[in-house]
Amino acid sequence: MEIDAVSLTAVTKSFGAVRAVDGLTLAIPQGRTVALLGPNGAGKSTTIGMLLGLVPPDSGKVALFGLDPAQAVRQSLAGAMPQEGGLIPRVTVGELLTFVAGTYRAPLPLGQVLALAQMTGMDNRRVDRLSGGQAQRVRFAMALVGDPGLIVLDEPTAALDVEARRQFWSGMRTLAGRGKTILFSTHYLDEADEQADRVVVIDRGRVVADGTSAEIKKVVALTTVSLTASGEVSWLGGLPGVRRLEVRGDRVQLRSDDPDATVMALARAGAVRDLEVTPADLEDAFVALTAKETV
Amino acid sequence: MIGYIRLELIRTVRDGGYVIFGIASPVVMYLVLSNLALAPGDRRSGAVVTMVSMAAYGALGCAFNNGTGIGEDRSAGWLRQLRLTPLAPVHVVAGKVVTGAVGVVPSIAAVLLTGVLVNHVALSAGQWLSIVGLLWAGTVPFALLGLGNGYALTGQTAAMANIAAFLGLSIVGGLWVPTAGFPGWLRAIAEWTPSNSYAALSWDVASGAAPGARPIAILCGWLAVFGLYALYAYRRAGRTA
Repeated sequence: MEIDAVSLTAVTKSFGAVRAVDGLTLAIPQGRTVALLGPNGAGKSTTIGMLLGLVPPDSGKVALFGLDPAQAVRQSLAGAMPQEGGLIPRVTVGELLTFVAGTYRAPLPLGQVLALAQMTGMDNRRVDRLSGGQAQRVRFAMALVGDPGLIVLDEPTAALDVEARRQFWSGMRTLAGRGKTILFSTHYLDEADEQADRVVVIDRGRVVADGTSAEIKKVVALTTVSLTASGEVSWLGGLPGVRRLEVRGDRVQLRSDDPDATVMALARAGAVRDLEVTPADLEDAFVALTAKETV
Repeated sequence: MIGYIRLELIRTVRDGGYVIFGIASPVVMYLVLSNLALAPGDRRSGAVVTMVSMAAYGALGCAFNNGTGIGEDRSAGWLRQLRLTPLAPVHVVAGKVVTGAVGVVPSIAAVLLTGVLVNHVALSAGQWLSIVGLLWAGTVPFALLGLGNGYALTGQTAAMANIAAFLGLSIVGGLWVPTAGFPGWLRAIAEWTPSNSYAALSWDVASGAAPGARPIAILCGWLAVFGLYALYAYRRAGRTA
């Protein structure tokens, strides 16, 4: 069996009295694109810091390709884009990327990196004179220029506008297509939903859900079956699959974990009027997962 | 590591602080001071003493400027970014030290060349070699103090601390105005400063004597102090970066 690209086992990290990561266990096989999804302060950046060897865990075990993280980085196996920083003044894009490439065993040619980061023709620009979006692309280019097997990106699109985000993900998909393992953190639900083939939801330093976005939605979020009804409607709450009933004017919304059964029962009862079935979205799932313990 | 040194040298050459404090300011001050003849003795020996003082002053400027760069790099997240490349941490530190050492050379060369070309300073080949060597090697304690500040403090504060240390040590150490003109109490302090000891080694050589034992001992003492400070600051920064 191939070694996992990333493996965290019962990893814990506290900062003073705050437990940022709390017994987190996560394994990512090679070649997958995984999103680390969680609200601000969930422990995403600390987790990424530990798996890159920047932050020592208090307890637990972290390995990249079976190696100690710092050792894996030294052996050209990983490239990363931290949430912020990493750019220096008084150098050009080309000088900076050529230097970073030179530290890796088998880097990509500069032209290819510039193309992947949508920066073709910008290698003579000074790094300190770039716009925010351009700077973000240079940081992305630094993560991938060494052609490592694992690319880790902490909130890569946080500073980008819609078009820049679209271009960024097109570059990422090219990399994923080349068999790279990609781990990115985000608090944009649509990005996790569209770009990752697996979503790991973390909250308060723990994994609260792990699977494809469809699986996560299925487990925790409910499909909405809505219809127009009048008079006494409380019997609708007793139909198969219905877990919750909400009335808004003459519209009744049934939250169901088995929408097929719910709709069949409605049909048998002759209650189908203006029927609408809305699948759960990841946002519902996310809210359900991360709000559980706050009450 | 060669690639890292090349990158750092490119950044140094494009750094306004380096060009102003390290090269332009000592050369201009040398031209002014040597023609005011503030140094004791005749104009000819004054030109020699001031040449050494200003070369020392410029070398100090470069050494401290290099340390300030570390503070900026830390604030910019560059040191963390380097930890995410296959470059070994020890190579990063070594690369920065080499860059600092190489960066000092143009500064010393600029002032000494001005001495030869403009003020017609004439020394024996042995004296030239000794002065260049002593001025170069003697910057190590100051480079360590600068790096210590760079690791201990954040970007802006590190820059302020290094400029203060640079100007303070230059003035009190008698690099601008010879300590002969200082009041007694200030001269007593000056004789214990690393900057005065550092320049004294080359003043001795320029006057035809061997470097004194006392300045060597004092400079070595400061080397130990600043070395420990830099080590402490580096370790502390490693824990928080």
